Amino acid sequence: MSIFKKLFTAVRGGATEVGEAIVDSQAIRILEQELRDSKTALNDAKTNLTAIMAEKMGVDRKVKDLAEKIKEHEGYAIQAMDKGDEGLALEVANKIAEFEHELNIQQGVCEGYASKITTLKKMIRQTERNIQAMGREISVVKTTEKVQKANELASAKFSGSNSALQSATDSLERIKARQQKREDQSEAALELESEEGTGDLTARLKNAGIVDSDSSGSSVLERLKKQKGNG
Amino acid sequence: MSNAKLEQLMTSLQEQKLSDGTGLSIEMFDGENSVASIMVEDREEFPIYMTVDEGQILCISYLYGEDEVNPDKRTEMMESMLLMNISIPLSAFSKIGSQYIMFGALSPRSSIDELLHEIELLSDNVLEAIDAVSDYLKEK
Repeated sequence: MSIFKKLFTAVRGGATEVGEAIVDSQAIRILEQELRDSKTALNDAKTNLTAIMAEKMGVDRKVKDLAEKIKEHEGYAIQAMDKGDEGLALEVANKIAEFEHELNIQQGVCEGYASKITTLKKMIRQTERNIQAMGREISVVKTTEKVQKANELASAKFSGSNSALQSATDSLERIKARQQKREDQSEAALELESEEGTGDLTARLKNAGIVDSDSSGSSVLERLKKQKGNG
Repeated sequence: MSNAKLEQLMTSLQEQKLSDGTGLSIEMFDGENSVASIMVEDREEFPIYMTVDEGQILCISYLYGEDEVNPDKRTEMMESMLLMNISIPLSAFSKIGSQYIMFGALSPRSSIDELLHEIELLSDNVLEAIDAVSDYLKEK
């Protein structure tokens, strides 16, 4: 079974009620055991790999030795032929054939080891990735459990004994209402500020004598008289 | 190790405000000090829980419980949530036990600005999401 599928089983847990454990602790324990097993398997695979690599090195040496011996004996055979000693040359040639036979065998062993090493390395990489993924996922599952507990604590603290009565839509309505109120308040504050701002400006204009400080009946009459006198 | 990282993040967040000046209040919320609760001012009903491990920073907010869902519209709601999931910026729907949640995940190497952005978006998304699925919830 894939890790995902196992986790899926673990988090389903069968819990449907608030307060019930959401993570099947037994399933998590099994997963953690599997994680440990994978780590052991990984170590075994690494030891195995080292052993095979060492053996391959031994065989590599043998192959090299045999190749050298073949070359050496080929020299001997040629020398024997040069001396006209057919018998000796044939004896050496037989030896060479023996070496070549052995070389073939050792080369086969060597290739076998090489492909085994590739497979093992691939397997180790895969296991390492699996271990990482498993560890990450177990950690997330445990985290969600902690978050669940925290949420229960928080909702109990926030809404007291009424937590069960407060629905998400109620909460949303309340938040919206609060937001509206806040917006209204800041709008009102802005309006007030601008009114105060104009008030302030009028006062300053009056002080500067730009706006008539006290427009009264007598001042209006004065102005009309001036206009008449000019006209 | 993770808890130290969480505490460090909390300390840095403590002095921060969201882009519109909204305040945050943050506290540890469990005995093991592994979950921080972040409350966005005026939205205290939907706290955001933050956890940190080697792999990721998780921010989770609870939407509503199974008991609030109108049973006749449950399948329809689930499908809408799946369909909506991809178009919600940075957050996704999920479920913990019998509770529907919304969450966002960040790299543990994220900056405080990125984390703040995540919190702000998640908080907005939660309100939007509840609004969007309210048709599938039980009538009050």
